[in-house]
Amino acid sequence: MRCQRAQQWMAAAVDGELASRRRRALDGHLAACAACRRELAVTDRMLGALEALPMEAPVSAGLEQATLRRVRLAAADEAERAPGNGWRSWFPLPAFAVVTAAVLVLAVGIARRTGEVPAPVAVGSPSRAPGQPMAEARTPARPKTRVAEAPLPPEPPAKLAQAPDLFMDLPILRNMDKLRHFEAIETTTLDDEPGTPDGQEPPSNG
Amino acid sequence: MRRATAIVVLVLALAAAAVPAAQAQDRPGRAWQSLTPEERWRAWENYQRYQQMPEQRQRMLERRHEQFRALPPQERDRLRQNYDTYRGFDPGQRRQFIEKYHRWKGRK
Repeated sequence: MRCQRAQQWMAAAVDGELASRRRRALDGHLAACAACRRELAVTDRMLGALEALPMEAPVSAGLEQATLRRVRLAAADEAERAPGNGWRSWFPLPAFAVVTAAVLVLAVGIARRTGEVPAPVAVGSPSRAPGQPMAEARTPARPKTRVAEAPLPPEPPAKLAQAPDLFMDLPILRNMDKLRHFEAIETTTLDDEPGTPDGQEPPSNG
Repeated sequence: MRRATAIVVLVLALAAAAVPAAQAQDRPGRAWQSLTPEERWRAWENYQRYQQMPEQRQRMLERRHEQFRALPPQERDRLRQNYDTYRGFDPGQRRQFIEKYHRWKGRK
């Protein structure tokens, strides 16, 4: 498998929605490709952080767009300086991760300054214990796509037997934020220029 | 009289707010024995994914499960339909949707 294909399947893998055959193929590629492993870890952490993050402080559309433009310009400059990066030179996700991280940092910074977020938000890893070094938290610790290798036991574990619905609906629960605001997200524009003039209301919640 | 009316309205409002949560608590989920083999396998796969998650994320999903159960049936159906649509996306569509989600979340 090539990195390009692996990248295409990663979002589905992070959502736990990749078919078993593809997942095995992706796992095989990830075992041999450190760059794609890093990419998967970044995508996973970013989605997890986004889903868990309370956006307490509104960021004006003008400020957001200005930040995005500056980050994209910086990313374009960097891409020009390193033209031989293969798939990395055209694949949008890493650049997009940088953009998202910039917006997140900006939003969280504003929120913390206004005192509306009581505790630091661990964007890198929500499970990081206090005092644990960040470098350790950045290490992809769990192979997210390797599941279901174990056979179905004759008797399910107690937690599974008590609440099978929780696990049947797990993909919905993982994506609940996206699914609740599905229509609003679908109508969001991806252009550099905002769909609405600066200062107008952001897309509705639902 | 006005006071009594206000108290009645307040009690009714509190009862209405408490009903969905109570229903969610009382509503029994499906029993393991009632699942088809395919459903059991899917639940088992997801259980293993759940086991690999950090504890904080597990708690978050359990809270979401309670919220999900407390939703009106129409809203649950809407989420399921949206999930079916999302699941049907090809990799490119899904990547674009996630990109839009990031953008939307940033604007929210």
